[in-house]
Amino acid sequence: MQQPAPGDGGRAISSLYPPPASLAAEHRVIEDPEWSLATVPHLTDLCLQHIIHNFGKNPVLNRLLPEHQRKVLDRLSTDVPLAVTANLIRDEDYWKRCCTERWQVCDISNYGGSWKRMFMERHLENVVKRFIPNSTDPNQVLELIPLCKDYVRKLEVDQFLPPLQVDQKEEMDDDDTGSDFGDDEVSMHHYDIGVLITALPHLEELHLTYGMKDCGMNFEWNLFDFTHQDCCNLAVALKKCHNLKVFKLTRSKVDDNQTRLLVRNLLDHPCLVELNLSHNLIRDKGAQAVGKLINCSRLETLDLCNNQIHHEGAQALAQALAENSTLTSLNLRLNCLEDKGGEAIGHALLTNTTLKSIHLGSNNLSEPTATVFSQVLAQNTTLTNINFSCNHLGLDGGKQLLDGLANNKTLTEFDLRLAEVGQETEYLIHQIVWANREVARLGSLQNAPAKPL
Amino acid sequence: MSRAAGAGAGWRAPGPAPSDPGPQERIAARRRRMSARLDAKRRAALGEDAEPKAVEEEEQRRSHKEIEESGQRLAKLLFEGTQMVTNIQVAADLRETQRRAEEAELKLRRLERLEKEAKSGTARFAEITSRWALATERTIPQELWQLLDWQQQRCTRLLEQKNQLISDLQQELKNKDEQYVQAIKQQSDDINLLLERMEEQIRTMLKTYRHKLLQIEKAFELERRELLDSNKKKWEEAIQAHNTQELEYIHTRLRKVEEFEKQLKQLLLQDEEEYNSMKIQLEIEVQNLEKQLQQMKAAYQLTQEKLDFNLQVLRKQDEENAIIRSQQKRKINRLYTIFSNLRTKLAKQEQQFREEGQSLTTHCERIMAKCKVVQRKMRHFALSDSEKFTEVWLMNEEEAKGLMRKALDADFVIHTQQLGLHWEEPHYWFLNNVGPLGCYKAKRRATELAAQILTESSADRQEEEEREKEMEKVGSEGGGKENTMKAEDKVAPLRNICKKTAKRILELVSDESGFLLEGKQLRLLQALGRDDRILMKLDSIFGALGIDSEDDLHQLLDFFLQYKAREVTVRQSQGSPGGDVTDPAEDREHGGSSPQRDELKPPQSPPASLPSASIRTDDVLRILNAFMRDFNKPREKDESPKDVLPERDSSRDEEYWAALAHVIPQPVLKLWDALAAALEEYYNVLTSRATLLAETSVLQQQNSELCVLLEEYVSSRVNSELLCPPTKWMDLSLACPREAQRAPKAKAEML
Repeated sequence: MQQPAPGDGGRAISSLYPPPASLAAEHRVIEDPEWSLATVPHLTDLCLQHIIHNFGKNPVLNRLLPEHQRKVLDRLSTDVPLAVTANLIRDEDYWKRCCTERWQVCDISNYGGSWKRMFMERHLENVVKRFIPNSTDPNQVLELIPLCKDYVRKLEVDQFLPPLQVDQKEEMDDDDTGSDFGDDEVSMHHYDIGVLITALPHLEELHLTYGMKDCGMNFEWNLFDFTHQDCCNLAVALKKCHNLKVFKLTRSKVDDNQTRLLVRNLLDHPCLVELNLSHNLIRDKGAQAVGKLINCSRLETLDLCNNQIHHEGAQALAQALAENSTLTSLNLRLNCLEDKGGEAIGHALLTNTTLKSIHLGSNNLSEPTATVFSQVLAQNTTLTNINFSCNHLGLDGGKQLLDGLANNKTLTEFDLRLAEVGQETEYLIHQIVWANREVARLGSLQNAPAKPL
Repeated sequence: MSRAAGAGAGWRAPGPAPSDPGPQERIAARRRRMSARLDAKRRAALGEDAEPKAVEEEEQRRSHKEIEESGQRLAKLLFEGTQMVTNIQVAADLRETQRRAEEAELKLRRLERLEKEAKSGTARFAEITSRWALATERTIPQELWQLLDWQQQRCTRLLEQKNQLISDLQQELKNKDEQYVQAIKQQSDDINLLLERMEEQIRTMLKTYRHKLLQIEKAFELERRELLDSNKKKWEEAIQAHNTQELEYIHTRLRKVEEFEKQLKQLLLQDEEEYNSMKIQLEIEVQNLEKQLQQMKAAYQLTQEKLDFNLQVLRKQDEENAIIRSQQKRKINRLYTIFSNLRTKLAKQEQQFREEGQSLTTHCERIMAKCKVVQRKMRHFALSDSEKFTEVWLMNEEEAKGLMRKALDADFVIHTQQLGLHWEEPHYWFLNNVGPLGCYKAKRRATELAAQILTESSADRQEEEEREKEMEKVGSEGGGKENTMKAEDKVAPLRNICKKTAKRILELVSDESGFLLEGKQLRLLQALGRDDRILMKLDSIFGALGIDSEDDLHQLLDFFLQYKAREVTVRQSQGSPGGDVTDPAEDREHGGSSPQRDELKPPQSPPASLPSASIRTDDVLRILNAFMRDFNKPREKDESPKDVLPERDSSRDEEYWAALAHVIPQPVLKLWDALAAALEEYYNVLTSRATLLAETSVLQQQNSELCVLLEEYVSSRVNSELLCPPTKWMDLSLACPREAQRAPKAKAEML
C-alpha cells in the first residue's frame, strides 16, 4: 500500500493524456526510476484483495486453494458481519484476531481452547447483557441463534437489564404516590432467557446473575428483583436443556418458592452435575427442596453458600446426604446451621462414602459439632477437605477433633482458622494433615510415573 | 556408561596385541573383540558389577532428594501462600458473621423497642381518645380549653416520642450508611490486600520455583560432572592401556617395516633393471611406431586433401548437377508444353496439309493438264523459234557477210590503192557457211546414225544420198558452204570408232538379237534388202533396248569395244600381241570430242584400233546384257531433257561469229592502225597548212591596209609641225614585211 498501485497510476495518467494506456504506462516507466515490475502485485493477490474487500457481499473461501484461503483469512477484516463468517470460517487465527481486537483479556482456557467458541459465547453474552425488554428487538438475539448455536457451550450472563426507564419513572411516581401497589412487578420482568437457551443444543454451562452492574447512584432495590415470572421462564427452559451440566444462579435474590420451582423442574435432570445457588435468599424450605434434588439427580457439586439456611434446612440436607452416593462437594458457607444442623450433617457423614469436600465455615458451629466430627474423622475415609473456619469450636472442640484426626490418613486439608481451637491444637492438626498430604502427594507421584511404565 | 566402561576394560585386556596388520589377522582380532564384549555383557547381567549400580542409585537418590525437598518446600510455600490469601476471606467471613450477629441483636432490640413504643403509643393514644369523650361533657370553655390544652400537650408529647423514635431510627440508618461506607472501604482494602498478597504470592512462587529449578539443575550438573569425571578417569585409563598397546604395535610394525623396506629395495633394484630393459625396448617400439604414425599421418593428410578436393569437386558437381537437373526439369516441362503445343499444331497442320495436299493434287492435275498444253505450245513455239532463229541467223549472216565483204573490199582498196600491194582474197571455211551451224547433228536418232554408219561403210553412193538429204533438210539457202559442212559431218558420226568396226558391231547386234523382234516383223523384214532389213531390225532392237539417241548408240559401241579391249588385254598378257595400229582419224578427232565422251573413253590405247572381227557372235548377247545393266543408270538421269526439243550446239556459233568478225586478220588491222595514225598526222599537217595559208592571206591583206594607213599618216601635215617628227627617229624602211608584221604583234601584246 505504500506504493500506489500501478494500475491506478496508469489509469490516472491515461485519463490526463488521451493516448492509449500502454503508452502512458511506458511513459510512467521512464519517469519513475524507482518503479519496477517487481512491485506489481500478482493477479492472484489482486483477486484475493478483491475477495477480501467484498467478503461481506460475496464470501468466497472454500473454493480457494488452501494457501489462498490462508491469505484471505489473514487479511480479512474483523468487521465482516457475523452472519457471513460464523458458519463459514473455522480458522482459529481469524477468531483470535476478532477476540483480541474486541476484548483486552482473553483467557482461552475457559473456553476449551477454542477462539471461535470464545468469540461466539462472549458476543452472545454481550447481546443478552444489553438486552432491554420491550425496547430492544428480540430478533437481535434470535438472529444470532442460528449463527452461534453450534459453538456455544457456556453462557455466563452476569447482568440482566430491567425494562425501560419509563417504567422506572412510573415506578418512581408510584413510589411517590403509594409504594404499596405491587403490580409493578409485572413490568419488571427481565429478558426471557428460555428462548435462547432452549435453542442452543450444545449448552453445557449456564451462569446467570439477575442484577445490574455499575448502576452507581441510580440504585434502586427493584433493579435487582428476580421476579416470579423470570423464575418460571428459567425453570421451564432449564427442563428443556438436556445437555446442561453446570447451572449457576447467584446473587439473584432467589427465595424459597423460586428455589422450589427451579428444583421441581431440575428433578431427574439427565446431565446436571453442578448446581450453584450461592448468595441468594434461600431459607430452610429451599434447602429442603435442594436436599430432595440431591438424591434425584446426578449432582456432584452443590454450592449454597451465603444463604439463610438454618438447622432445619441443614437437617434436610443431612438426611439427603446420608443416602446420597453422587455428591462429592458441598458448600454451606455463611449460613446459620448452628450446632443442630452441624450435628445432623456430621451424622450424615458417618454413613456417606462419596463426599470429599465440605465447607461449613461461618455457621455458628460450636463444640457439639466438633465432637460429632471427631467421630467422622475417625471413621470416614473419603473426606479430604473440611473447612470449619470462623466458627466457635472452642479449645475442647479442637482437642476432640485432634483426637479424631489422630488415625485419619485421608484428610489433606482441614481449615480451622479463626475457629478458636487454640494454636497448639491447630499446629498439631496441621502437622497431621501435612503428613497426610505428603503421603497423598507421593502416592500421586508414584502413580503418575507408574502409569507410563 | 559405567557398564560400557567396564566392558571396554574387559575386552581391552584379554585382546592379544594385533601384531600383523594383514586382513586375516584383523578379522581374527575383530572376532576376539566381539567375543570379549559378549562376555562382559554376560557378566554385567549376572550382577558382577553391582557396585557401580549402587553408586548410581546413590547418585540418583541425591538428585531425587533435592527434587523432593524442593517439592516439599514449594508445597509448604504454596500452602502458606494460599493460607495468607484466604485468611482475608476468612477474616471477612468472620466479620460478616459478627456483623450478622450484631445485626440480629440490634434488630431484636429495635423490634422490642418498636413494640414497646407501639404499646406505649397505643396506650397514650387510647388515653387521649378516651379524654375526647370528656371534652363533649365539658361545658365551661375554660375547662374545655384546659382539657384541649392538656390533650394538645399529650398529643405533642406522643408525637415527640414518635419523632424521637423516628429520629433515632434515622440516626441508626445514618450510622448504618456510615458503616456501609466503612464496610465498602474495608472490603476494597481487603480486595487490595488480597490482590497484593496474590501478587506477592505469585512473585515469591515464581522466585522460589526458579530458585529451586536452579538448585535442581545445579544438583544435576554436579551429578553429571562427577559422572563425567569418573568416566573420564576410566577413559584415560583405557586410553593409557590402549597407548601402551599401540606402542607395542608400533614397535612391531617398525620392525616389519624395516624388513619390508629391505625387500622393497631388492625388488626395486630388480624392477629397475627390468624396467630399463623394457623401457629401451619400448622406446624403440615407440620410435618405430612414431615413424609409422608420421607416415600414416602424411598419407592421411595426402588422402585427406585428395579426398577433400574430390569431395569439393563432387559437391560442386553435385551442385551443378542439381542446377542442371533443375534446369533440365524446367526445360523438360517447357518442352513438354511445347511438345503438346506442337502436337496440337501438328495435328492442325496435318489436317491443313491434307487439305492442302488434296487441293494441291487437284491443282497439280490442273497444272499437269496445263503443262501438257504448254508443252504442246512450247513444241510448237520451239519449231517456230527454230524457224525464226534460222531466219534471224540468215539475216544476220547476210548482214555480217555484207559487212565482211565491205571490209574485204576496203582491205582490198587499202592494199591496192594506199599501199600499192597485191591483195589476195582470203578463203575461210565460214565464208561459205549459210544458216545455223550443226542444227541436226545432235538431234540425230540412233537409228539414223546406225543407218549412216551402215551406209557410209557400205557404199559412197548411199552416203552421198544421205548427205544430200541432209543438205536438203538443213540449208536450202546456204548451198555455197556445202564443202565445209561435209567435212565436218564426216568426222562427227565416226568419232573414235572406225566405221568398219562400227558397222560390224551393228550387224552383229542385228543378227544376234533377233529374238527381240516380233515374229511378224521378222517375216515382213524378209522381204526387204539386206541393209534395210538390218536397219529395221536395229530400229526395233534399239526400241526394245531403249536406245534412243546418238549418244546411246555411241555408248553401246564403246561398250563393245571396251569389252573387246579387255579380252584383248587378257590375250596380250597371254603372249600374243595384236596389231597396235592407231587410227589417225581418231587422233584427229580427239581434240574436238566432247568431255562426256572423253570420260567414256578408256584411258588405254583406243579400242577402235582393234579388229572388229575379233568380236565373237557368242559374246554379243553377254555384252548386251552387261551393257543394259550399266546403261539403265545414266539413262534415268538423262530422261528429262530427252523429251525437250533436240539441243542446239551453240559452241561453234561464237567461233563462227568471231571468225566472221575477224575476217580481217590482226596484222592487217595493225597495219590499218598504223596507217590511220600516219594518215591522221598527215591530215593534221595538211589542216595546219590550210589554216596557215588562210592566216597568211589575212595578214597580207592587213599589211596592205596598214601600209595604206601609214602612208596617210606620214603624208599628213601634222608631222611637220611636230618638234621631233617620228619620221626622223623612225625607220620607215618597209623593206622586210616580216618585221612589219612583228611590230603590230608586239603592239597588240603591249595593249
